[in-house]
Amino acid sequence: MIALALHALRRAIFAISIAVIFVVFVGPIAILGVTSIRPASGVFYIWRGTNFTFNNFVEVLHQSQVVEAMWNSFVLSTLATILSLGITVGSGYMLSRFGGWIQRSWFATIYIFRTVPYISWVLPLYLVNTRLGIYDTYIGLLLPHIAVHVCFFSWLMKGFFDGINPSMEYAALIDGCTRWGAFYRVALPAAMPGIAALAILCWLSTWNEFLFALILSGKRTPLITSTMAQFVTETGTEWNLMSATAVLAMMPALLVTIFGQKYVIRGLRM
Amino acid sequence: MAEVTLQDVVKKYGTFKVVHEVNLNIAAGEFVVLVGPSGCGKSTTLRMIAGLENISAGTIRIGDKVVNDLPPKDRDIAMVFQNYALYQHMTVFDNLAFGLRNRKVPETEITSEVTRATQMLGLEPLMARKPFQLSGGQQQRVALGRCIVRRPQVFLFDEPLSNLDAKLRAQMRIEIKALRERVPTTSVYVTHDQVEAMTLGDRVVVMKEGWIQQIGTPLQIYNRPANRFVASFIGAPAMNFMKVELVEELGVMSAQAKDFKVELPLEQAAVLRKHGAKTVTLGIRPEHIRFGIPSDNAGSSFSGVVTVTEQLGSEQVIALNVADSTIMASRISPETEVSPHASVQMWVDAKALQFFDDKTEMAIR
Repeated sequence: MIALALHALRRAIFAISIAVIFVVFVGPIAILGVTSIRPASGVFYIWRGTNFTFNNFVEVLHQSQVVEAMWNSFVLSTLATILSLGITVGSGYMLSRFGGWIQRSWFATIYIFRTVPYISWVLPLYLVNTRLGIYDTYIGLLLPHIAVHVCFFSWLMKGFFDGINPSMEYAALIDGCTRWGAFYRVALPAAMPGIAALAILCWLSTWNEFLFALILSGKRTPLITSTMAQFVTETGTEWNLMSATAVLAMMPALLVTIFGQKYVIRGLRM
Repeated sequence: MAEVTLQDVVKKYGTFKVVHEVNLNIAAGEFVVLVGPSGCGKSTTLRMIAGLENISAGTIRIGDKVVNDLPPKDRDIAMVFQNYALYQHMTVFDNLAFGLRNRKVPETEITSEVTRATQMLGLEPLMARKPFQLSGGQQQRVALGRCIVRRPQVFLFDEPLSNLDAKLRAQMRIEIKALRERVPTTSVYVTHDQVEAMTLGDRVVVMKEGWIQQIGTPLQIYNRPANRFVASFIGAPAMNFMKVELVEELGVMSAQAKDFKVELPLEQAAVLRKHGAKTVTLGIRPEHIRFGIPSDNAGSSFSGVVTVTEQLGSEQVIALNVADSTIMASRISPETEVSPHASVQMWVDAKALQFFDDKTEMAIR
């Protein structure tokens, strides 16, 4: 009897926990979703009234800056992913397979950069970018993103390569490969699930990034995250338009997450 | 097939020497086993032959060619690794074909070579599988196949059976031996398992702390170990050692310890007399300690107290307390009833005894 009661209690606690987690995580997104289909007059009372409209979406998609920002964010995320993975894969492999002062210094550099708070880079980077004349350009946004990714993902990449037994590469060396061939034809394909996972994480983190976008981009290369914030104006916040933009911005990330999830999980399990 | 020659080969990591002046001539077609405990330098020596480690000094020749500075791919060798080292993203067929494709062998020839190897190893049904879909034994067979297809000058084996369970290991040992008959190739085989060393090797090289201790046929190593280390390393249960005093009475030499006395044959006595030491270490293989009293040689019997018995079914191993030291006796018939703490009478065949210098630990010959 007591066992049965305990069982019921445990189930109840489990159900309540799930409900709380659900509300905490899904609640804001649900509010965002509903806000995005409410007219401007309805945004403060989203749980009342039956006025729904897709005009918000039409309106933001007619704003050239929003469309341009989405395109810029897409290009920036894709380029940053390709370029930073190119470096990260090599860097992770080097850290995993070779020892020596170069590797140790590189490791120390990455470590130091990881310990520095992200936000403290942004203002110096603004000064550097304006001085170099690359403020508000692709290159001025790309370079900081690549730097951050290389520092943050080299360790993960090293972990992936650590998980691949080097004797596979030795076998390749004996089977007629050069050192480069052993890396390219054997280690790299074996690390592919990990690389795919990193590519997804890398793309998402650039797409969602806000600080660099806010400080280092301007009118010429607007990015989606900073553009969204521009609905906060002197005359008030256009919540409905901001929500519609946010929902649009969520779409690519959502698609990548849904379709890439299995690669991320497989990769991180490596 | 080519001969492999190691001349004064040294490996140093910084100032630390892990392999000391190794000299070894392996004849074409010979199967040599490097054996020793972990850290003895056997794998490093093998990896130096493979070209996976640089050598710090000396010369390695494969055939007539000095290969010191050749990359592994140009040494015409094949290697089997402990963890199989199969290419995880390739099928069994592609794993086998990889080395040939790198050498730009025509695809028709690759297919026929791969087929030959897979038939030999019974891998035909597995050709389309990936390594993770194979059992350990199957993976190691693919690794063997990868060696065979290339028809290299030398096979190198780096503890290939260590990851397999005992039963499979015994089976694969037999397969490797059978394979040798069909694909005779110079082979260097590294293992820490003395059974593999004894059963597979034409010659066995026993190593310790980077030094070669002895090179010889399995029987030479077993019957005439060069020093106490080799004697204790090869053989299971291990050889028993006991400090004894050599006493001459009326022209007869005997090895004595507390409650222990064995009279020595004339030749053995002559050798020990020439050596001159009064106390030496006596080595007895467990199978040379027999139960009961000998009919003809009463002088070599002694008594001991049984401490532990191990019933193995085919034989019985017993641990005895003799002369304040524990020694193991084996090859006791499994039917013999022995109970712990019983006092038993044993005898040894004096001709089978080995003697080692107390200080140098070298065999006294």
